[in-house]
Amino acid sequence: MSLFINIPEDKEPLPSLKTGRGKLLWIASTDHKQLGIMYLWLALFFFVIGGLEAMAIRAQLAFPDNDLISPELYNQIFTMHGTTMIFLVLMPAMVGLATYLIPLMIGANEMAFPRLNAFSLWMTCLGGMLLYFSFFAGGAPNAGWFNYAPLSENNYSSTNGVDYFLVGLILTGIGSIGAGLNFITTILTLRSPDIKLNMLPLFVWMMLVNAFLMLAAFPLLNAGLFMMLIDRQFDAHFFIPSTGGSAILWQHFFWAFGHPEVYILALPAFGIISEVIPVFSRKPIYGYKFVASSSVAIGLLSYSVWAHHMFSVGLSNAVNGFFAISSMLIGIPTGLKVINWVGTMHKGSISLSIPMLFAIAFLVDFTFGGLSGISFAIVPIDWQLTDTYYLVAHLHYVFLGGSLFGIFAGIYYWFPKISGRMLSPKLGKWHFWLFVLGFNLTFFLQHILGILGMPRRIYTYPDLPYWKVLNIFSSIGAIFMFIGMAIFFWNIYKTLKKPRTAVANPWDAWTLEWSTPSPPELKNFDEIPQVHSRRPLWDLNNPDNPDKKLN
Amino acid sequence: MPNHYFLKITDVDLIDELFVYFLIVASIIFLLVVFFTFFYLFRYGVKKRPERPSQKVGNGNVEYSLATLVSIITGVFVYLTIVTMGKVQTIPENPQPFLEITGHQWWWEAKYPNSGVITSNQIYIPTGKKILLKLNSADVIHSWWVPELGRKMDMMPGRDNYMWFYADKEGEYLGACSEFCGVQHARMRIRVTALNPEAFEVWEQKQLRPVATTNTKEFLKGKKLFETKTCTNCHAINGTDFKENIGPNLTHFASRKRFLADMKVNNEKNLRAWLTNPQDVKSGAKMPNFILSESEVDALVAYLNYLK
Repeated sequence: MSLFINIPEDKEPLPSLKTGRGKLLWIASTDHKQLGIMYLWLALFFFVIGGLEAMAIRAQLAFPDNDLISPELYNQIFTMHGTTMIFLVLMPAMVGLATYLIPLMIGANEMAFPRLNAFSLWMTCLGGMLLYFSFFAGGAPNAGWFNYAPLSENNYSSTNGVDYFLVGLILTGIGSIGAGLNFITTILTLRSPDIKLNMLPLFVWMMLVNAFLMLAAFPLLNAGLFMMLIDRQFDAHFFIPSTGGSAILWQHFFWAFGHPEVYILALPAFGIISEVIPVFSRKPIYGYKFVASSSVAIGLLSYSVWAHHMFSVGLSNAVNGFFAISSMLIGIPTGLKVINWVGTMHKGSISLSIPMLFAIAFLVDFTFGGLSGISFAIVPIDWQLTDTYYLVAHLHYVFLGGSLFGIFAGIYYWFPKISGRMLSPKLGKWHFWLFVLGFNLTFFLQHILGILGMPRRIYTYPDLPYWKVLNIFSSIGAIFMFIGMAIFFWNIYKTLKKPRTAVANPWDAWTLEWSTPSPPELKNFDEIPQVHSRRPLWDLNNPDNPDKKLN
Repeated sequence: MPNHYFLKITDVDLIDELFVYFLIVASIIFLLVVFFTFFYLFRYGVKKRPERPSQKVGNGNVEYSLATLVSIITGVFVYLTIVTMGKVQTIPENPQPFLEITGHQWWWEAKYPNSGVITSNQIYIPTGKKILLKLNSADVIHSWWVPELGRKMDMMPGRDNYMWFYADKEGEYLGACSEFCGVQHARMRIRVTALNPEAFEVWEQKQLRPVATTNTKEFLKGKKLFETKTCTNCHAINGTDFKENIGPNLTHFASRKRFLADMKVNNEKNLRAWLTNPQDVKSGAKMPNFILSESEVDALVAYLNYLK
């Protein structure tokens, strides 16, 4: 019995850099692997910009009553930092990894809609460019990444920054909707016929749930963005209370998108971690069914928790109570996942390669961020601590300790597959320790600052007891992260100059992408791989002890 | 534990208590995760166990029992949340606020409806009395937060919010606007002074006096400048025709210890700097630079400093 059977050739090859030499193929290509890589480059590019913005923020906040940066500029910088990191770094990084990997993991040769795939990338890219063009057009958006009305309306934001914010995010939103649609269709229709849904790699499972979230969340955001654009450009009154609109309505639109978005950025990281921990523990995931189904639970619940961002708005106890309960409930499936990841390591044979190191850091820091998140579901605590540095600390624990550490684990893990070269583990360790320690120094202290009463989004603060010393150390942590990132970029640069020497399956992993050469050919699979369990390459390499047959 | 602890549990105490419960449980959960992660790392490292481990795929009973345990903990906190919420957020049917605070970019307007006192930025409250605040906004969303005296509550334009406020001891309490409200959000800080009821009464009576006046040359010159240099387009003085409410009410300006939403100490030097070029002191503030001459600034300072 062979592992592969033949796939018929495509009648007309789709454009790709590998099918011709024209420079135009950089933008005409529909090859999912090239698009995935370009998504990752896009994320890396904006990560540099967003990271420099973060450094500017920490430089300004290092000392009380600092006047390094003017308040006008500071407000633009923190708005752009948040917007960039969420829409132009984490989103494209997750979508990029998924675009590259989903077809390879399910035994498909392309995405279901290759042209839509290219369109999604270029919309995201265009949105990002437009957003940054605002700096040259009179001023960047300055009303915060959640752009609350009426501050973001004409009366209070007179530059065009907010208009660029609205149009830029509408475009990236269209890109994300396209990507979500593509993922769902690809996963549901292009799987190798052997692969049943309960045999999908967990990364693909999470992306399937995630794609449904994207498909439902981004239209909500875009509807709100369009309404505000109409307010600003055609003097409508959707969100202007003084002329009959509602400021709370914007918050509902924004957070009904915004909270699913948090999970859109978390689920792919959950998926990456669910691939990495088993491989480096030499054991299958603990409780596959629970990890997969808890994602579905998270997906469904994530739609009924948005008003926990609005507990201080003055909603009634009944409304607050509903959202408190739903927000706490979502902690149950998330907690279950952590238990399963830790359980996977039980009685394994654990090797601490760089992807695994980041997975461990994820386990610790994401758990911490998840738990501090629960304190915001406990409404009375939220009434004290929301919109303080405690919240800033919490969200960075989730987005960096969670999403970004997941992405780092994924990049170190799949880099040999994508580029054909192994990233240097020595430099990787420097990156890991500097970044993880710096991260914890910077953001752990911010919990205390929040409890001491420091509100977020302030360009400066008075010299109150402990504020100075905590802020200085917080900024020092940022320098560690900065150096760590510089080493990461150096590592990528050095590695890309080396010849392609990576073997097909350097980590001795089990999912289908590792059965292709590193990097894969333009056509992923010449034959349809035969799959009988969740770990086809395990079965191939361990014929004496194969997994349970599922088909 | 002293007896009065049970008699006077404030909202802040209730929230602190809940936070302590949360902290204990969250710390235990966190430490368990960290402990097992690192224990497994050391116990099951590849050097100690190079051989192929058993390919176990999990145990449903373990999952169900842990899920049940997590659900029970969640249930306890749901209960505590609902109960505490009900105690802290209790708004009467016909709210009679003791103090109405309106957020402006970037200062606080305060009205005491019972006595009719109107002031700004410098906010006084009596101790030992749970007072009801009415909060709203004249422009964008602000948020009222004095951590030691009560919860945080947003100030929504076009909507009245109510919350309870309580100071046990006399003293000064610091807070800050906690919703991003534009350029000078950082400089929109709060200082609440709690006085014992008698002292508070005295303060109120002082604030109710008519605006001070005198016949010195500088004062009269300053008064004339104030009335002719469009200051009164934004600033009100009680008992006159000037009732605009765009900037702070200045009737008893000199009685305030600090100005510019707690940014500066109210002294001659700071006032002079502010009047000379407001944008230099607090950029983005709504007061434009009137390009006053030095002698005009002198006169305005003399005028304003007399408004005790």
